[in-house]
Amino acid sequence: MEPHEFKLTEEGIKAVLPPLEAEIMEHMWKVQVATAGQVYEYMKVKHPDIRRSTISILMNRLCERGLLKRSVEKGRGGMRYVYSITTTREEFEEKVVQSILDALMTNFKEATYAYLSRIKK
Amino acid sequence: MALEVLLAVMALKELGLKIAAAAFGSILLLYFWVSTREVKGNYVTLQRSEMPWLYDGIAEMARKAGIPMPRIYILDDYIPNAYSFKNTIVLSLGLFEVLDREEILAVAAHELGHIKNGDTKVFPVLAYGRYLMMVFTGILILLAHRPSVTLAALLLYGLYEVARANFLKGREFLADESALRLLDVPMSLKHALEELKYYEDLRADVRLSAVPSIEPSIERRQKVPRIETHPSYDERIFRILVEIHGNNMFNQRMMQ
Repeated sequence: MEPHEFKLTEEGIKAVLPPLEAEIMEHMWKVQVATAGQVYEYMKVKHPDIRRSTISILMNRLCERGLLKRSVEKGRGGMRYVYSITTTREEFEEKVVQSILDALMTNFKEATYAYLSRIKK
Repeated sequence: MALEVLLAVMALKELGLKIAAAAFGSILLLYFWVSTREVKGNYVTLQRSEMPWLYDGIAEMARKAGIPMPRIYILDDYIPNAYSFKNTIVLSLGLFEVLDREEILAVAAHELGHIKNGDTKVFPVLAYGRYLMMVFTGILILLAHRPSVTLAALLLYGLYEVARANFLKGREFLADESALRLLDVPMSLKHALEELKYYEDLRADVRLSAVPSIEPSIERRQKVPRIETHPSYDERIFRILVEIHGNNMFNQRMMQ
């Protein structure tokens, strides 16, 4: 998944993902595997008005972004979709940093080098 | 449709009749060929042990409706959807993510309503009747070579489309009504429709605001203006409320 935007005013993962998707991913990185129902129960605590549809659609968006993958599981309670992470949090953060630095190097080469060598000192 | 046949006969005499017969015959063949086709996509036939609440719920409603137990297919598709054909109900896995048990049973009840009302037999015929109309109109216009015939044929075809759309909408409302009578909790149908409407609206919004590279632009094709064959969610919800509240005077149990 290639991040496309970086919001300088946001913290952590919210700089790269929309807020609800960021929260879902924080949770998914902790639990690794979950159903939409489980994520719904988790998110409902902080967002009492959230609906199952929202969770379902957002988790699908995360699949489209390549951060989650969906599979069918047959368990007690029947068949349902189960979502799992495709990369670890560290790998994702590395990718974010890489993409941004690459972009900075491409567009603001001298300024980037100058700043990086200043930080190094 | 009968009017068009009449028009054909007037315009082309014997030839018109022959064409009408040939078109009808070929559509009939198509009908039998296509009836043996299977469901598109990955699906599994539901076994009772997998989801007894669903299986038993549908079994009970089928019994109430006086129809044999339908086959239940669970479709591997993340978009919530349900439909029926012959004696089968198809429910997509997406439905199970978005609705709770009562609401899923409500959607199943609506599909049972279609089966009970004979729609699963009528709809395929109607679909092929539509092809027949299109082909027939085309041939009529081509062979008659008269502007008056062309105009009349197109007008009749237009009337047919409107009548067909109204008929289909009416069957949807009827299926809703049948569902209300089958459900333990009739309000769950209203809740199900509200949630599905919310899903549809949200999905449209999310798609619009998506970063271009994630959503392939092919998906965002222009919606071809056409006559709606499905009533809107709002219409259906309104009618359900009228139905439930209308009955409420005599039966308090309906509201939960």
